[in-house]
Amino acid sequence: MAEITYEGATRHFPGGKVPAVDALDLAVAEGEFMVLVGPSGSGKTTALRMLAGLEDIDAGRITIGGRDVSDVSPRDRDIAMVFQNYALYPNKTVAENIGFALKMRGVDRDERSRRVAEAAKLLDIGELLDRKPRNLSGGQRQRVAMGRAIVREPSAFLMDEPLSNLDAKLRVATRAQIAELQRRLGVTTVYVTHDQVEAMTMGDRVALLKDGWLQQCAAPQELYDRPANTFIAGFIGSPPMNLLDAEHHDGRLTIGGARIDLPEAHRAAVGRLDHVTVGVRPEHLDLADDGIPGTVSLVEELGAEIHLHVQAAGTGVVLRTDRNRRHALGSAVHLRVPPERVLCFHPETTELLFAPEPAP
Amino acid sequence: MTAIAERAVPAGTGRGSARREGWRRRGPLMPALIFTIVVTQVPFLLTLYYSFQSWNLLRPGSFHFVGLGNYAAVIRDAEFRDALLVTVIMTLGSAVIALVLGTLLALLLERKVLGRGVVRTLLISPFLIMPAAAGLLWKTTMFDPVYGLVNFVLQPFGVHGVDFVARFPLASVMTVMVWRWTPFMMLIMLAGLQSQPTDVLEAARVDGARPFAAFREVTLPHLRPYMELGLLLGAIYIVGTFDEIYIMTQGGPGTSTTNLPFYLYQRTFQGYDIGQAASLGVATVIITFIVMTIALRTVFRLFTETEGR
Amino acid sequence: MTAAQAETAAPAAPAVRKRSGAAARTGWTILAWLVGLVFFFPVLWMVLTSFKQERDAYTTTPRVVFTPTLDQYRAVFSGGIGTAAANSAIATVFSTLLVLLLAVPAAYALSIRPVKRWRDGLFFFIGTKMLPIVAAIVPIFLAIRNLGALDNVWSMVVLYAAMNLPIAVWMLRSFFLEVPRETLEAARLDGAGVRQELTEVMLPVVAPGVAATALICVIFSWNEFFFALNLTATRAATVPFFLVGFITSEGPYWAQLAAATTLASLPVLLAGWIAQKQLVRGLSMGAIK
Repeated sequence: MAEITYEGATRHFPGGKVPAVDALDLAVAEGEFMVLVGPSGSGKTTALRMLAGLEDIDAGRITIGGRDVSDVSPRDRDIAMVFQNYALYPNKTVAENIGFALKMRGVDRDERSRRVAEAAKLLDIGELLDRKPRNLSGGQRQRVAMGRAIVREPSAFLMDEPLSNLDAKLRVATRAQIAELQRRLGVTTVYVTHDQVEAMTMGDRVALLKDGWLQQCAAPQELYDRPANTFIAGFIGSPPMNLLDAEHHDGRLTIGGARIDLPEAHRAAVGRLDHVTVGVRPEHLDLADDGIPGTVSLVEELGAEIHLHVQAAGTGVVLRTDRNRRHALGSAVHLRVPPERVLCFHPETTELLFAPEPAP
Repeated sequence: MTAIAERAVPAGTGRGSARREGWRRRGPLMPALIFTIVVTQVPFLLTLYYSFQSWNLLRPGSFHFVGLGNYAAVIRDAEFRDALLVTVIMTLGSAVIALVLGTLLALLLERKVLGRGVVRTLLISPFLIMPAAAGLLWKTTMFDPVYGLVNFVLQPFGVHGVDFVARFPLASVMTVMVWRWTPFMMLIMLAGLQSQPTDVLEAARVDGARPFAAFREVTLPHLRPYMELGLLLGAIYIVGTFDEIYIMTQGGPGTSTTNLPFYLYQRTFQGYDIGQAASLGVATVIITFIVMTIALRTVFRLFTETEGR
Repeated sequence: MTAAQAETAAPAAPAVRKRSGAAARTGWTILAWLVGLVFFFPVLWMVLTSFKQERDAYTTTPRVVFTPTLDQYRAVFSGGIGTAAANSAIATVFSTLLVLLLAVPAAYALSIRPVKRWRDGLFFFIGTKMLPIVAAIVPIFLAIRNLGALDNVWSMVVLYAAMNLPIAVWMLRSFFLEVPRETLEAARLDGAGVRQELTEVMLPVVAPGVAATALICVIFSWNEFFFALNLTATRAATVPFFLVGFITSEGPYWAQLAAATTLASLPVLLAGWIAQKQLVRGLSMGAIK
């Protein structure tokens, strides 16, 4: 167990000056499950590899357990890594795969088999010990990769999108298993994914990266309720937060022709801007007799609820309603925006100006 | 890599159309097949036929049937056994040494050294040089006792005036062969090294393997099929070595560098004893065939295994 | 890299890190170049010597400094290497074309729309390669003599084609297997017949593979010695045969010999250098997959 810090860590793309990871400052507490999430090219995998020692650090430093490991080779960092494509040793059996790191450290054979058996039991792959990777299914391979990591009892786990090669159903089940395993073992974990659902459900805290920059690092709920900018607001949550242009005058917003009065607390934050970007979650929108006018463009039936796509205020808006509220394609509707639920973002810098306290 | 594109013949389309489909598929294969049979198999069958005859071109009208007489002579022939031994030493020795050197070179070239492409260009040159030219070159400018470069280079070590080709004929010929075939092995091993998945190597690094341990545990097993292939393919070619021997030693001194192909050549074009030569040829073929079949089945298992994936 | 305890002074501004391993890289570079030059040296020496006067070539201590001359090349050309080269060229080019003509459909039949017993077919081709040609030389020699086709460049064309066909089939087949199955299926659904499959879909993808195969055939045909030695004499003599004349001549003809060997090796050497990528593909991937 160890805490991990990134201090101004920077990595340039090979042969270039453009940073893949730009002055990253991040602290992961002991035993914490930290998720690095972001779109492709955001630098999250690079940041993980820098922690592993598989990428050089061009500026700044990284510490593990208080020790500066920036110049330390991967084998001496006491970390274990689960790769996206599992990277199992093709010519070795499952048992040999899992025990490989122990063998490299000179652990004797009996001790090795014992620990391998333990890890295999934890992951329910006991009967597969004599098989070779090519005779395993995707899910089994993934578990072997995990086994290889946990058997070492390292200071930290590093995981690079370990679920992305599994089919959807398996992914959901394995997600829960990994989270539970980490809680049980209590090992500091840094987990990379592009899937915000994984990030939200698994992480103690989530660090959102974009273009090499850290956008925000907070607990999932905080990220959801108080996103620091419109990018985060649009990335977290599915369907994403609706972002609308609004004119502002003296506490009154005009969106798509409809008028909304801002609550007191909002007004102070918005100040004298004459335009604001308004954010409202799909579950907070409602259909009413008056409000923002729009046309239904798509109806998505999800069984338990319906996602209604509406063209309004010059853009596409999504709202979540219960199954009884069906509306025909093309029909005209009005959207009611609850003023007390609205988030305000600066129209140019996209930063959060005000977010309301979530309702109890 | 795709597996075979579809099953051999589609089923359930009726007997007539299945047969037509079968011929449509065989069609493209036919020209090559017929050509090969005519130019290689027919002569081989004739060789078989001649091997049962006694026939010397220098004695016209001497053509008559002797059954297995020629083969008996082959088995008793000490020179044949010598040639066999020389062939084995020459082939295995050159192939293995070339493989080892080729692997080392491939490991060297795999690193990001400056001007890697140029070095590789230099290194493949021996393979491209005409074997006959290579033999000539080494025999004269390199190995000559008085004017050769090898003697000159080894002078500081107290070596001079050594006639390598005369005193170490087998080693001299094998040196040229290794020089020629190392690039071939190197290219195969290079392909093997470059086909390694990088993430497995990274996993080994994270798991604590030092460079040499990673090589032994991950890279070497991965390279094994490539080594097998290199040896097999190389051996197939090296067994038939003729040019270097003809140019450098003419099989001598004595029979120290006479391998099977050269021995056959001597019997055919210098002895004109067709019957004997034919039976020698058949014997060579049988031996080669047995050895190669065993080896080839191993490689084929490799083939079909990968295709099953 | 050692697991050293790093300095504990936390930098206020992140320091830029020095990239390690530059020294090791230089070391490997030097070694690689050294090895490359050692291997290449005989070739270099050959070319160098070809520009020497005989007295500069036939010396006890090798001469690196000398006045270059083209005399040796003139001598070699007047010795008849031109005709030999022409013969070699004809034999090489036409045999390679013949091989491709036969091998492409055959490889197709063993990969894309496979014959029922494609494994046997492949095995058969490889098998013929394993029989030392020396064994079949007797009847071939007699057959060609009876056909009155001794010392004829076209006999060589046929023989070289037969010699290279197995390898060509093997290599081309593996390149054909690389064509993505979905593309072929899409083409078939669009109504493509065998001919269109070949030309529209496959050829663009396997073109480099075909080039690699052709290159290998060219190399083996141009350098071929045994058949040339025994089945040609004056009219159809190819370049390797031409070199035979230098074997027995002891004495100071080394510079001329060097010129001859340089010319003999030049075409294949250049072709191999230029089409290096193809060569590598051909030798390694074609054989492996």
